[in-house]
Amino acid sequence: MSEISDHARAAVGEIDPVLLTIINNSFVNICREMGITMQRTAFSPIFNEGLDFSCVLFDRDTNMIGQAEFCPSQLAASLFIVRWTVEELGVDSFEPGDVVLHNDPYRGGAHIPEHSVIRPVFYDGELWGFVANVGHLAEIGGKAVGGFAADATEVFQEGLRIPPVKIVSGDRHNLDLWRLIMANHRTPRNTWGDLNAQIGSLRVAERRVIELLDRRGAELVTRAAGELMDYSERWMRAEIAAIPDGSYEFTDYMEDDGVIDAPVEFHVCVTIDGERMIVDWTGSAPQVRGPINATFGVTAGSVYNAVFHLTDSNIPKNSGAYRPIHIIAPPGTVVNVVYPGPSVGGNTETHPKLVDMVTGALAPVLRERVAAAEGASCCNFLFGGVHPATGEFYANYHLEGCGWGAKDYGDGNSAQILANGNCRNTPVEIFETRYPLETIEYSLIGDSGGAGRHRGGLGTRRIMRVGAGAEVTVSALFDRTKGPFRAWGLEGGLPGGYGAILVKRRGESGFRTFPEVFGTVSASKFTNVVLREGDEVLLDSPGGGGFGDPRGRDPAAVAHDVGEGFVSDEAARRDYGWEPK
Amino acid sequence: MTAVTSPGRWQPIEKQVWDTIITPCDCCGQVVATRLWVVEVDGQDQRFCGESCEELYRSHVVPRRRARGAP
Repeated sequence: MSEISDHARAAVGEIDPVLLTIINNSFVNICREMGITMQRTAFSPIFNEGLDFSCVLFDRDTNMIGQAEFCPSQLAASLFIVRWTVEELGVDSFEPGDVVLHNDPYRGGAHIPEHSVIRPVFYDGELWGFVANVGHLAEIGGKAVGGFAADATEVFQEGLRIPPVKIVSGDRHNLDLWRLIMANHRTPRNTWGDLNAQIGSLRVAERRVIELLDRRGAELVTRAAGELMDYSERWMRAEIAAIPDGSYEFTDYMEDDGVIDAPVEFHVCVTIDGERMIVDWTGSAPQVRGPINATFGVTAGSVYNAVFHLTDSNIPKNSGAYRPIHIIAPPGTVVNVVYPGPSVGGNTETHPKLVDMVTGALAPVLRERVAAAEGASCCNFLFGGVHPATGEFYANYHLEGCGWGAKDYGDGNSAQILANGNCRNTPVEIFETRYPLETIEYSLIGDSGGAGRHRGGLGTRRIMRVGAGAEVTVSALFDRTKGPFRAWGLEGGLPGGYGAILVKRRGESGFRTFPEVFGTVSASKFTNVVLREGDEVLLDSPGGGGFGDPRGRDPAAVAHDVGEGFVSDEAARRDYGWEPK
Repeated sequence: MTAVTSPGRWQPIEKQVWDTIITPCDCCGQVVATRLWVVEVDGQDQRFCGESCEELYRSHVVPRRRARGAP
């Protein structure tokens, strides 16, 4: 049982808190069941292994009243997409059994692979609310297999863009629309399976909402939803008010945008003004040519993600919690891409950096709650081709865990999907049973955690070899692979280790960069390189930053790290001043 | 403090079927789906998603911009 904070007590409203908690848990559990349904019925590993989706519940006024703990990168997308879709189409356009589909990154989405489906919930003939989810489809057409064109300069190269349209009307599938979509995806059978998993899970959620309304009464549930939002708002305001007033700034960089080999600057100013927080991204670079631009949904999501990391985790996650947080993301910049700029990497590479930046800005006043920077690259690795064993086309989107930043109270986590993902690492067995890729090595990288009183988490190394008779087309979108762009430390902690993607052609003795072997512009971001039988690819994920002076680390902890191979003997002596007994 | 030179007005966004460009709010940058809150500030029309963004623009964006020496 968690301790009830003073802020929580002060925020209590009129309905009995126990009943309110039960109804809030019902909302969350409806969303969780929606997600589990998707996980168990989808075709692609990114759903049933990666859990790259979010599930949400809305009232009829498009306030978000419930959310399950799935993918934080979709926090804002799931918040905005329903509201803006309903505004655009008009609330009266929704009929029972309709499902609206859309993946437009300029209409609240996080990036184009993520498809939202929205279904109205009617009760006693009246619109009561909406159930919705956002899921990352593994293949959506465009110039790169897997929908991650790391050198895209326009949205049209990133995949099929779909504005809000009814894919289901009155529980009848619009097959003309389905055919149009599947004709533009490379793996249409997976699209059919994954999208139907999303749509089917909405029906489960709708049924559970109606059961809740039957059990508790629509009037009470509606009133409780309103009170829960007010409760969350009061609690969040109290949390913000506890932070000293002032403006706190932070700057960080992406090493390149995939198209031009030059760093890209991001700037944030977090203002605490009593009970409200203003997060202003003015000063960030103009929109770039490559796909690391963030949509508004990504930038807002990163702010909410950071704030939820820094405030009481028991605050119910509904629209009320978001009300005191104001975001300024100037259009036409790297934090708010405008049409037709590309943005597919904004959700994976930019989002975690923006989370770290909000955290870093507030570090001087919230040192006991913040962490040093994490690896902050999803290490996106996309691949596809014709499987030599089946003759069928396959495509997959893969992301790696990184090292997380250390905190004042502990080391950073190792090999963990980033704060924007909350996804799972894909097991080796999935690669080997579904795709012609044999895993040679999957390990933690020694010395990749930034040294500190508390050490940054370790990155991972994965080496895969292309199987017999196979030809695999690969694309990548990594960051933190060079220069001064490693995960930064705090209070004297050192930066984390670099990430990398390297290749070894069949018969060669060592790994080299993709620019060296294939002439790509960027070593970390490229599209559609063909690997053949016996070629090997190495994926290194970056480590997290350290916290505090490494010389202050407990010698027993250093000895343990050396014993486990997390820190080499040489680094232990150099960074920690360690001497073996 | 910026002087208010005209009251705001709601302006519907008229779109043809071939219009695929999305209109953002001049303050926060969010999508504006169907109508804009248009206000004249310092002789220029600013387009917001609503009155709360106008307040944020006047209370935060303009003073911050001026503090940095921007027009």
